[in-house]
Amino acid sequence: MIAVDQIGKSFNGIHALDRFTLHVEAGELFGLVGPNGAGKTTLMKVLSTLLTPENGTARIDGLDVTTHGREVKRLVGYMPDQPGVYQDMSVREFLDFFADAFHLRRSNHRDAVDSALERSGLTARSHDSVEQLSLGMKQRLVLAKTLLHGPKVLLLDEPATGLDPMARIELREQLKRLQAEGITILISSHILSDLEDICTQVALIGAGRNATDADGHSVIQLRVPQPPARIYEIEVIGDGTPAANILKGESAVRLLEFSGNRLVAEIAGPDDQIAALLHALVIGGVKVLRFDHRALGLEERYRLAFGEKHS
Amino acid sequence: MNPMIRKEFRQRMRERRGWLLPSIYLLILGAVVSVAYFLATSESQLANIQGSTVGVALFLTLAYSQLALLLLMAPIFSAGAITIEKEQRTLSGLLTSLLTPGQIWWGKFASSLLFVLLLLITSLPVLSLAFAFGGIGPWEVFTATLTTLIILTCVSSIGLYWSSVFRRSIHATAVSYATVVAISVVTAIIFFIFMELDVAARKATAASWLGLPLHVRASMYVNPFFFLTTSFAPPRQLYPVWTTCVLVFAVLGLAAAALTLRNLRRSGDQ
Repeated sequence: MIAVDQIGKSFNGIHALDRFTLHVEAGELFGLVGPNGAGKTTLMKVLSTLLTPENGTARIDGLDVTTHGREVKRLVGYMPDQPGVYQDMSVREFLDFFADAFHLRRSNHRDAVDSALERSGLTARSHDSVEQLSLGMKQRLVLAKTLLHGPKVLLLDEPATGLDPMARIELREQLKRLQAEGITILISSHILSDLEDICTQVALIGAGRNATDADGHSVIQLRVPQPPARIYEIEVIGDGTPAANILKGESAVRLLEFSGNRLVAEIAGPDDQIAALLHALVIGGVKVLRFDHRALGLEERYRLAFGEKHS
Repeated sequence: MNPMIRKEFRQRMRERRGWLLPSIYLLILGAVVSVAYFLATSESQLANIQGSTVGVALFLTLAYSQLALLLLMAPIFSAGAITIEKEQRTLSGLLTSLLTPGQIWWGKFASSLLFVLLLLITSLPVLSLAFAFGGIGPWEVFTATLTTLIILTCVSSIGLYWSSVFRRSIHATAVSYATVVAISVVTAIIFFIFMELDVAARKATAASWLGLPLHVRASMYVNPFFFLTTSFAPPRQLYPVWTTCVLVFAVLGLAAAALTLRNLRRSGDQ
């Protein structure tokens, strides 16, 4: 999703970026770590089209940031290290303005602003002046503004700077939710514990170049992305109620359907977890006739999307 | 409608200066017209004073005073327009949105100029007072207002350029005022020096403006007060001096706009 190859950028003869290379896969929450002046902000600015690299290439979703600036702006949400707000506007006016600036159609405009307010937890404060918000709330407002146009990629430059511990926790949770929605996130931060908690991988940058750790790795793998939840169809001999009770007792399981001796469940987690669940059913005295993994059908997809709202 | 224009208007009209400056402006113009009337009628202290004489005196005083006041006010609106975005750190948000540098410039320019235009329109009834005394017709009011508008358009564009160059509003405003002084006062001083040198060289004064050598006249073509003076000529005599001034101010304003756009495109470095 983000491909940076041998990129270079200098200011007054000093290299801010010097043949820096980075590859971020779609759906990752990727960290960027380095000391002050390492080139993190310059990289973020290049990716957000604010700066033009002198050499090398930077691509977002296959689009060169230099030659396809406008298309890249549609894909990217950029939050600078010290994001500014218009203090004399109300929260809603601020989001309205940026919804216009991203050319959201009238029909989507109100929905986008309402959803941004809800997402950032600022619905109750929508008519308050931005000036009255705390720093943490302003940060949430700027993140909400950054998400207004539905970007595929988020570029966050030191988003936790100046936030109190509670606001940092909220930010971390929000970023996890955004990743779960499929948004690719590149985040730079000095707060290593925050990155460790949320990132799948972290790249090291120093003096504008790829830096390496003691083992020679320039990218540190923190965790393997969780596999998506899978649907299993289970058929038992006799009454399915005991099986349903066991499934309901598991936190990683969501029972989608239950009728007679047939159950359909959504199971999250790795293969080990699924094997353990089958084991629990057998140990629990359930006579399992069939335990089949199957892809989501249109009906399940529809039910997953709208079922809870209508039931 | 360009979202920048809507945003700028909303913010501008919420500022205290949104109502304070027009009030002060009209109060000063009111004071000027009172003093001008008093002087025009008490100078002659004669019963046979012509109404048209008073009308022309009032009109000229008001036209020049209005231009001077607006030249002082225009930089307040334009010079801080882009620097305020840098100071608030909101410029990167604008540049990474789908707004083009042209839309950002136009929003800033239109809101600065329209506020000055608002002042110009509010003073039209005061300027039209001269009608009551005669000697002045709608044509004179029209050309004077149009000329003032052209000058202010150019000055606003220059103010925006300085705003794109500097990071702080205070610096951009100071340089904008220096520019206003340069085109209003320094050009006049340069003109008088060259004219004295020319008179000394030729041992004679030129019979007309166009009789002066171009290098003597040149500096005055960027002088706003000279430009306003040329607008008082009869319609058939507006060419070539007034039209040359129009051209010079248009080129200056367009050059400032082009340079501002270039700076906005490079603003990511700031």
